[in-house]
Amino acid sequence: MRRRPGIAGLQSAAASREQYRQVGENVARIRTDLMKEQLTTFRSQLEEFARKHKNDIRKNPVFRSQFHEMCSKVGVDPLASNKGFWAELLGIGDFYYELGVQIVDICLSTRSHNGGLINLQELCDLLCQRRKGARESVSEDDCLRAISKLKVLGSGFEVISVGKKKLVRSVPTELNKDHNEILEVAQAHGYVTIEELEKRLSWSSGRAIDALETLLKEGLAMIDDGHKDGKRRYWFPCVASIFSASGFDGFKP
Amino acid sequence: MQKLGDFKLPQFFNYPPFFTLQPVKETRDNQVKLWKELILGYCRSQRTFVIGLEEDFPLFSNPVIERSLSHEAREVFLSALVNEGRAEWMDKGHKKCLLLWLRIQEWADYILNFVKENGFEDSVMTIEEIRSGIETRGTELAGIDRGLLVRALKLLEQKGKVAIFKGTSTDDDGVKFSA
Repeated sequence: MRRRPGIAGLQSAAASREQYRQVGENVARIRTDLMKEQLTTFRSQLEEFARKHKNDIRKNPVFRSQFHEMCSKVGVDPLASNKGFWAELLGIGDFYYELGVQIVDICLSTRSHNGGLINLQELCDLLCQRRKGARESVSEDDCLRAISKLKVLGSGFEVISVGKKKLVRSVPTELNKDHNEILEVAQAHGYVTIEELEKRLSWSSGRAIDALETLLKEGLAMIDDGHKDGKRRYWFPCVASIFSASGFDGFKP
Repeated sequence: MQKLGDFKLPQFFNYPPFFTLQPVKETRDNQVKLWKELILGYCRSQRTFVIGLEEDFPLFSNPVIERSLSHEAREVFLSALVNEGRAEWMDKGHKKCLLLWLRIQEWADYILNFVKENGFEDSVMTIEEIRSGIETRGTELAGIDRGLLVRALKLLEQKGKVAIFKGTSTDDDGVKFSA
């Protein structure tokens, strides 16, 4: 803009600034309106989708997990509140709260056997057994979701990965790296021996004994002196359950 | 699931460490509890009254996983039952154990109930008849341990509910139920 001297020049400069501002505001408003409109369309589409596939979402665990994935991609959490339209529409919040309660129950009732550490797969099996009557089947994904909701309560529920398996921890025990490695070795047969740990992890026997003693004290391990080779075996009910055969092909003594 | 005759074995019976006494208290408590339930349940279903600790007993070993209970473990589990009044040592050396899935008092009640339901008031039965006669067939009394039966009857005698009298031989010992 060519600079002109005098009052008139200043005034016209102010006027044009004002005009620019107005144009800018207009553009912004149009953009937000457009965005809002898109969001409403999107929301209504998502609602319509959910409504249309309500039964699938409720009954089919695979479909449900895909739906969750889709929702998380667009930043919607159907579980965030129990009051939103999702809950009303799908009753999905209640579903996970119910699962959560049942999971807590199972973890507590099996704690005396497994020391508060349970295989996710076993948990899921027990959950399905308990819910036999219910219409919806439950997947591991559902379990994980329900557990992540339990975290809100600060109840110390946590999912840890050991080797290929996922374990659900319901006691405040902290497992260090050594413990995790032992659990990983134990996954092969359900038990470990001190010798095996020395060989597989190149540990000293002291280190192995130390870690095993802790696991025993925490109630996560049981000793077995009954094998004819005379070597003490340390069994871990959390990796190879006493109570469900699945996830483990029987015990090889 | 593994079975012993018609008895369904619990899953822990196939888990080797349950055959070794656990050193950690909580784990041991849980182990003892499961064994107590198993022993009592098995004996009741098989009508086993006496367990000899040094004899073969189907629950004391599991050939499938090649594990068996040590003498110490057997004694620990049975002692736990004794402490609960669900068993009694029959000798000081703890070699034989009498199982009481019904306590003596409960046996006495059972007998009274049996008498009432079958109209045996005022009638006489020999002890052997109670143990192996037709009348008691299919009831809990069939095959009952003789010593146990006599103790239950003596308890009833003290309360005046039965009169025990001696026969020519112990087989002929009889009971008269009061009305």
